[in-house]
Amino acid sequence: MNRFLAKFPSVAWFDAVRDVYNKDDAMHGAGSGTCNCVVGVQVGRELFQLTFEGFECSRAEKITKSKLDDCDFYLHMTAKDWRSMLQNIQEHGHATDNFTLNTLDLGRVEGLSASTHNDQYREDLFFRYNQTLQFFFDGSARIKTTF
Amino acid sequence: MDQETHNGAEFDLDLGWMEKQGEWGTHAEPSKNGLTLADIQVGSYAEAPEESRNLSGRPRGAVPRPGSMPIGNYTVRTKSEIWLENASFLYEEALQRQWSSATDIPWDTIEPLPDDVEQAQCQMATFLTEVEFVAGDVPSRWVSKTSPDFYEARNVLMAQVMDESRHMDVFRKRALANGGGLMRATGATAGFVGGIDLARDFTEMSSRLHLSGEGAVLTIFRMGELMAYNDAEKAIYRLCAQDEARHVAFGVMHMRYMAANAPERREEIESYLDEAEAGMLTDAANPAGQLNQTSESLSIMLGGGRKYFDEGFRKLVSIRKRQLQEYQKRVTSAGFGDRFKNGRSRLGQMMANVAN
Repeated sequence: MNRFLAKFPSVAWFDAVRDVYNKDDAMHGAGSGTCNCVVGVQVGRELFQLTFEGFECSRAEKITKSKLDDCDFYLHMTAKDWRSMLQNIQEHGHATDNFTLNTLDLGRVEGLSASTHNDQYREDLFFRYNQTLQFFFDGSARIKTTF
Repeated sequence: MDQETHNGAEFDLDLGWMEKQGEWGTHAEPSKNGLTLADIQVGSYAEAPEESRNLSGRPRGAVPRPGSMPIGNYTVRTKSEIWLENASFLYEEALQRQWSSATDIPWDTIEPLPDDVEQAQCQMATFLTEVEFVAGDVPSRWVSKTSPDFYEARNVLMAQVMDESRHMDVFRKRALANGGGLMRATGATAGFVGGIDLARDFTEMSSRLHLSGEGAVLTIFRMGELMAYNDAEKAIYRLCAQDEARHVAFGVMHMRYMAANAPERREEIESYLDEAEAGMLTDAANPAGQLNQTSESLSIMLGGGRKYFDEGFRKLVSIRKRQLQEYQKRVTSAGFGDRFKNGRSRLGQMMANVAN
C-alpha cells in the first residue's frame, strides 16, 4: 500500500489525516457521526486549527495564538508527547493504553484539553465528540508520518 | 336495502378536511446534514408558544379539532419551563451519534483480570447500572407531562432515555462478561440520586439530573477510560461519556434559557443548586467521594489493585477536584456563576476539603 508521507506537525499532515477521516464511512458511525466544533492543536509552540462540520473535517490551517480564542477547546502537548501518541497509533492501528485522548487528558497533570475562554459548555465538546476526535487521530495510522 | 343506498351514493362526498390546513406552501429544504429538525423550523411551524393550551396531543402547527377531548396530562405548558435554544441540534446529534453495545464494543479484547480488579470493575458496573436506571426513568416521566408544542425538548429527552437504557445494558454486560457478575447494590437510587425523581418541577429535575448528577457521572465515565484495562472498557466509558456530555449540554442550555427568560425563578434555581452541592457533590452521594463502595472500587482500579489503593486514591482525589471545577464552570456557563463570588456556594470549601 502506498501511504501518503507527511511531516508532523504541518497543514499537509492534517490534510492527509482529514482525507482519511472524511472518506471512511466507518469513522462516522459507531458512536461517531455529526460533529460541529473548532479544535485547536498545539504542538510545542506551533498552533493549528481543525474545523469539524457535520460529517467532515472541512479545514485545517496554521494559526497564531490569538486565534485560539476561536477554538472551542485546544489539545496541547509537547512535540515529544505528540510523537509518542502518534507512534502508538502507528504501531497498533489505533490509540491504546495511555494514549487515547481522554486518557491523556486525565492522566497528565497539565491535562490535554484546554481553552482560552473558560466556557465549560464549549470545553465539554471535547467529551461530546471524543470518539470522532479519536477516530480522526487514529486515521493517522494510515499515513506515513515523519517528525 | 337496495344497491344504491348500500354504496352511499345518495350522499355528497364531504372533503371539508382538505380546507382545514396549517400554514400551506412550505418548502423545508435539507441542509448539509440532511433534512434536520432545524431545517423544518420554517414559518409558523417554528413558533413554540410561550404558553401552551394544547391538551389534545395536536402536533404544533396543525389546525385544532373543535371539541377534541384532552388526552395528555400536560403540566409543563410554559415554554421557559423546559425550553433551550439548541434542542433541535442536540436531538439530531443524539440520533446520529448512536452506538450499539452489542457490536461497537470490542468485547473480544476483554481478558481475565486479577480478582480484586475484576471485583472493583463489577462493583462500578453494578453502581452505574443502578444510576442509569434513574437517569432513564426520570426524563421519561417528564416527556409525558410536557405539551407537544415543545416537541424539540421532548425529543431530546426521549433520545436520552434511549441513551440511558444502552448505558444500563452495557454495564450489565460488562459485569457479566469476564468471570465476575453483579455485586451488592449500592443504594444509589436512594439519597440524592433517587431524590431527582421527587422533583415537582422540570427545572428542578433538570438542575439535579442534567447539571449536577450527569455532570458528576460524566467525570466518572471519563475516569473509566483512564482506569480501563482493555480496549472494550475504554470504548464503553468513552462512548457513555459522549452521551452524558450531551445530556449535560441539555441542562446547561436549559438553565441558560431560564437565566435569561425567567429572572423571577432565579432564587428558586439557586436553591436547587444549593441542594445539589450539598448532596451529589459531597462525599456520601458522590461516586468519586471518599470512603464508600464506589470510591474504593475506583481507587483499586486507578491504582492497579488493592495493594496500590493509596496511589489510586491520590489519583481519585485529583480527578475529583477536576470534577468540582468542571461543575463550577458549567454553572457559570449556565448563567449562575455569581454564587461562586458572593459566598452563596460552598464549593470552594469543598474543593479545599478535597485537596486535604
